[in-house]
Parts: sequence; C-alpha cells; structure tokens
Amino acid sequence: MIAIYDLVKTYGKFTAVDGVSLDVKPGEIHGFLGPNGAGKTTTLRMIAGLLKPTAGRIEVNGHDLAKEPEAAKASLGFIPDRPYIYEKLTAGEFLRFHGGLFGLDGNGIGPRVTEMLELFELGRWENELVESFSHGMKQRLVMSAAFLHRPQAVVVDEPMVGLDPRGARLIKDVFRRMAQRGVGILMSTHTLEVAQEMCDRISIILKGKIIARGTVSDIRAMGDGANDHLTEVFLKLTGGSGLQEIDEIV
Amino acid sequence: MAFDSAQAKPFPYLLLPSVLASRNRARRRERGDLTRGLMFGAIGILVVGALFQGSFWLTTQLESYEELGDYLLRLGLSWLFMTFLSFLAFSGVVTALSTFFLSEDLRLLLTAPVPVRRLFHARFFRTVGQSSWMVVIFLAPVLMGVGRARCAGLAFYATAVLTTVPFAVIPVAAGSLMTLLLVNTFPARRARDILMLMGLLFAASLVILLRFIRPEQLMRVESLPDLTDFFSTLQSPVTPMLPSFWAGETLFASLRGAPDWLHFSALWLTAGAAVVLTRMANERWYFTGFSRSQEAPKARFTELRALDAVVSVLPWTPVRRQMLVKDLKIFLRDVSQWSQLLLLLALVMVYLYNFRVLDLERIPYMSGFLKNIYAFVNLAMAGFVMATVAVRFVFPAVSAEGAAFWIIRTSPISLRDFLWSKFWTGLVPVLFLTEILTIAGNELLGVDPFLKVMAAIAIVFMSFALVGLAIGMGARYPRFSADPTQVAGSYGGVAFMIQAVLFVIVMIVLLGWPASTYLFQRFRRVPIRTSQELLMIGCFTAAAVLSITVWLTSMRSGVQALNRLSD
Repeated sequence: MIAIYDLVKTYGKFTAVDGVSLDVKPGEIHGFLGPNGAGKTTTLRMIAGLLKPTAGRIEVNGHDLAKEPEAAKASLGFIPDRPYIYEKLTAGEFLRFHGGLFGLDGNGIGPRVTEMLELFELGRWENELVESFSHGMKQRLVMSAAFLHRPQAVVVDEPMVGLDPRGARLIKDVFRRMAQRGVGILMSTHTLEVAQEMCDRISIILKGKIIARGTVSDIRAMGDGANDHLTEVFLKLTGGSGLQEIDEIV
Repeated sequence: MAFDSAQAKPFPYLLLPSVLASRNRARRRERGDLTRGLMFGAIGILVVGALFQGSFWLTTQLESYEELGDYLLRLGLSWLFMTFLSFLAFSGVVTALSTFFLSEDLRLLLTAPVPVRRLFHARFFRTVGQSSWMVVIFLAPVLMGVGRARCAGLAFYATAVLTTVPFAVIPVAAGSLMTLLLVNTFPARRARDILMLMGLLFAASLVILLRFIRPEQLMRVESLPDLTDFFSTLQSPVTPMLPSFWAGETLFASLRGAPDWLHFSALWLTAGAAVVLTRMANERWYFTGFSRSQEAPKARFTELRALDAVVSVLPWTPVRRQMLVKDLKIFLRDVSQWSQLLLLLALVMVYLYNFRVLDLERIPYMSGFLKNIYAFVNLAMAGFVMATVAVRFVFPAVSAEGAAFWIIRTSPISLRDFLWSKFWTGLVPVLFLTEILTIAGNELLGVDPFLKVMAAIAIVFMSFALVGLAIGMGARYPRFSADPTQVAGSYGGVAFMIQAVLFVIVMIVLLGWPASTYLFQRFRRVPIRTSQELLMIGCFTAAAVLSITVWLTSMRSGVQALNRLSD
C-alpha cells in the first residue's frame, strides 16, 4: 500500500533521512517510532508530498509519487502533527472543500460529510467556525478529512497529541476498523503504549536510519529479557534514559 | 479510488476557501467592525474623491496649453503607469513569496491530488489580486478624472479596464518568476530574507525616481531656458519597451477617439506570454522551491552579542534588562518586521529630500513666513509618522507575546513592570526617529531658532504620549493569536490611530498659536503684551499637561487591563 525505497533527505551537509526503506501492507497498522529529531516527520512529509526526497522512491497504492503525484495522493490520507485548517470556515465547509480536492462529487459529498462528522463526534458542530474548536476537536476534524475520500493508505503523525481519553479511544477504534477494511496505516507516535496496543509491525528510526523492525514481540525480544516492556527496549535501542544524570542534577 | 487529473476541480475551486471565509467573516461581525468599516470607508471615499478631482483639474488645466498640454498628458499617463509598474513588480515578488511558498494552507493543498498547473493558476490569480488592488483603487479615480475632463466616451473606460488587466499581470508575473528563482537559489529558510532585500531595492528606487524628475525645477522661473532639459529628463525613463509606455499610449489614443491596436496588442500578448512562461517555470521548479522553503537543519540568525553586552550595563533590574534583550532580538531576527520599517525610512528620506530642494527664497518677503509655517507642517508630519510607527510597531507589543504570554504571567514579575518595559523599548526608537526627522527638516528649511527648539521639545512630549497611548491601548485590546500587521489593523489599532491623530492636531493647535504670536510680534518688532505672554505660557503648559496626562493615564489603564486578564 505504501512502499518506500532507499529514501534520503539531506539539508546541506546534514542528512535527516538516510536510506530508509519500509512497506505498509493493506490492512496493516505500522508504527513508526524514534526519538525527537530522528527523521520521522521528515519521512512522513516526503510520503505526503510536502517535501522532495533527495534520493529514493515512494509508491502509494502502486503509483510512483514522483511520476504520478496526483494518482498517488488521491489514494492517500495524511494527518499531520501540526494540521492547517481554514479557521474562518465551518467544519462542514472545510470537509466539503477537502472532498472536492479529492474529486468527490458535489451531490454525493453531503451525506459522506455528515457520516464522517458523526463518526468523529463532531456532528453538532458542522455549522460552527473552526476557530471556535478546541485542539482535540480540530484534530478529530483533520482525521475526518483524511478518511473522507476513502483512502487506501493513511499516513498519520502523532495522532494522540491533545486528545482526551475518549477521543484517543475513538481514534484507536477508527484506525482498527479502517485497517480491518484493508486500509494501510503508517503511524508515528511517541506513545509507546499506543504502538504496543495497536501496531502489527513497528519500525524504529534513529539518526535517519531504521535500526529495528518487526512485530511488537520481535521488538520486545531485542531487550535483555523476553518480558521487557516496549519502553525499556526503545530506550535501550535509542540510547538509554540517562536516569543517573538526572539523579545527579536533581 | 481511481483518480485522474480530469477529476480535479478547475482552478477557481481552490479560491473557494477565501470566498467562504470572507462571507463568514461578513456574517459574523466582530466588535469594532462597523467603526473600522466606517472609518476606512470615509477615508477611502475622501482619497478617491481627491484623486478624481485632482486629475480632473489637472487635465482641464492642461487642455488650455493645446499641443503642450496634450504632450504633458501623454507623458503623464506613461509616468503614472511607470510608477505603478515598479510598485507592482515589487509587490508581486513579496506577495508571490507568501502565496506560493509561505502560505500555511499550502501544507493542506499539496497533500491533495491537485495538479501543479491548477495550483499555479489559483495562486497566480490570488497574487495578481493581492498585489494590484491598491493600484486599481488608485488608478480608477485618476483615469475617470482624466476621462471626464476630456469628455471621453464609454470606449475610453472600457479601454481603461482592458488595459489595466494585462498591465497588472505582466509585472506580477515577472515578480512571481523572480520569487521562484530566488527561492530556488537561496538556502532554505532564508526566503523571508528576500523581503528585506526587496524592501531595500524598493526604497532605493523610490529615491532614485524622485531624483530623476527633479520637480523643483518647474518652480524656478529663472530656469525657463532649461525647460527643454527638464522635458528631456521627464522623457528619459519613458522607454517604448516598457508596458507602462504601451498602457499610456493606448489610453491616450483612446482619449482622442482613435484606438491604438499596436500597443494594446503588445500588452495582451506580453501578458499572455508572461503567464505561460511563469507557469512553465513553476511546473518545472515549484515543488523543489517549496520543499526548500519548508525545512532546514538550522535556521540562520544573528547572535547579537553586542546587544547583550550593551544591555547588561544598563542600570535596570535583571527583569527589565532581559525583557529588553528578548524584545530586541525577536524584532531584529524577524526580517518581515523590520523590512517594513525600511519602506517607512525610504518615505522619510523622500520627505526630507523635498525640504532640501524646496526653494522658498525665491518668494520675496514671504519666505520667512512660509518657512515657519512649514516648520509646523513638519511637526505635524513627524506626529503622523510617530502615530504610524507606533500603531505598527508599538501597539502590537503586548499582542506580540502571543502564545508565549503565559511565561510572563506565571513569572514572579508584575504586569506593571512588564508594560513599562514595553514602553521604554518602544519609546527610544520612536523618539530617535521623529527627533531626527524634525531637527533635520527644520535645519534644511532654515526656520527660526525659537521654532527649532520648541519643535524638538514638543517631539519629546509627543513621543511619550503617543508611545504610552499605543502601549496602553495595545494592552487593552490585545490580539494574541494575530500577527503584528493584523493587530495594527484591529479595532484597537484603528481606535488608537483616531486618538493619536486627534492628539497630534490638538498639540499643533496648542503650540501653533503661541509660536505664531511670538514670531508675528517679532516680525513687526512689537513687544509681546503680558496678557499674550500669559496665554502663550498657558498654551505651552496645556500641551505639556495634555501629553503627560495621555501618557500616564494610558499606561495606567493598560496595566489595569492586563491585571483584568486573569479575572
């Protein structure tokens, strides 16, 4: 569904993403983990078509992003970490506009918009301006936009930030349901419990390179003990927690 | 889902959010919208009316000079369009940078399957609109005045519309192309620095343009033999290769009832070619440029260590010192902020240059009187410059804290200290700028020493009052989520401008009467009566009291408003 091959992104002498390859199969939720500045967001933004790769290839639903950008983007949904929404549009207007960008027909889009707003518990806010929304509501609105055109693959950057427990639960359920219907989801997150609970496979990126990949069990097996929590393994793989230094400073 | 480019909506669809947002904004009025609308509407009608009357009067006057009048009108039209041409090209570069590369909604649009060509058309349409609306508003009454004076038929007005469209498209296309080139050439994240570069170039071109014309020559009767030189100077920048010349010629021909198809076609063909060329370049380099403008490993900035060193020796509390360092560094590192100051400085230079070339000596007996009148014009102008600088740079000082205001509110410093720190930071540059403007202007004019001293002292009082008013009102009407330009145009900003202008007018009246009495008595060599002296002292005292009252009451109400934020 999403396949990237030897992806590289450099800024001058600095290499942010260094030969990353990964694939997300239909119906798979693929966790993309890594510490801050490891290259997660840069990778996701290249897949979404916001950044031009220095080298490498990206395919979405079999379409090469560089050669057929419109076809590739049409089957992709993107949920950024810092989403932009037109503040002076209502939720309904924003979704209808977004649907239009993806070629959704004017007549059929009304019921679909209502359906998505209901799904993300925003139905009664359809005619309210986005500027009056809380952060969590905006996040849910962006998610409804991303799923509006029934994408076959979804790229999501930090989905749980700013959501209350109910919202987080809702998002998890939606993601699971979408995956069951064959949607491939590539999700970056710092919430390792979420990754452990939801992901079929996980890739860990550090300094622009993939350093570990596998199922949650595979990753946990990389720790010292077989029953290690994902957090312990993640910290071990990405450079430790520095608890000793914290004690000294405190 | 199968998707091909035929499914993509035509480019006007991409303009839909702006249309809907405008409609929603109009439906849900915010506080002060009506006041702002009325004020701007009234100013707009006044300006448009003045432009219409001015061009009507001038064209009527020129008609009495027969062939010379026709020649001057023809030249005037070319000059008018040439001035706008440079403005449009500059505005095109700046606007294209925003619409094509920095606009936040691009992050949404570029993830959607929107063909590059359609995105280009939508963005270009927006760029042309944003860059040229001001020119169109200015041009329309001027051309209507010319048409009315010459009793032109409908064909002239239709030609005016059909000439203005390609005339606006050509420089904006060139500007957009320039932006594309610059964004692809400069290292990423420095795209906004281009604004500064362009600001400087524009400022320089304004001054050069003024030097070119040397309008003061027209005022010199003794230089009449040089009139041919003057006309050749006027003629020199008007080259037949520029669209401004084509536009001028087309309209002049239309005024005389004979269409000039050659220049009209040249305009449309060039506009079409410019759009096609810019579009092709965009299809080739746009995404690379956009990608470069998004990310960089490290933002380029100036450390400004000297600033730290200077501020550290100021006899202030650490809180006030750190506030000053923070405000100055943020301001100096944000090119989009201080590049606007450059434009203002260019206008100030032009203003001072006018004083330098103003030859009042040629008017016998009246030169001394006129000079002193000009001293007050200069003082009023400095007051208005002060109000403009204050509304743009001082009024938004509290709002500029934005989402980071929580740091101040949770710190162990009083909001009074915070606001006074903002006051001193704003006062020094405003006082410095307007003092220089006043002293240099009066010096160049050679006004009476008494007026020089009075104006210099008045500026100090006016600076304290206007900066205090701006800071105080900025605290009463903060807009933490808006950028400084939006803050300046908000309800509070407009309310500040109204009060500031009223204050300047009252000050001029309070200072003008005693100063003119003093000068008039001296001119007639008559001693000033005691009653007059008392009235003069009263006026000066009133001006000082008014300034101090405005300053302190504004600051106090600002502090109270900040304290109420936590209610």
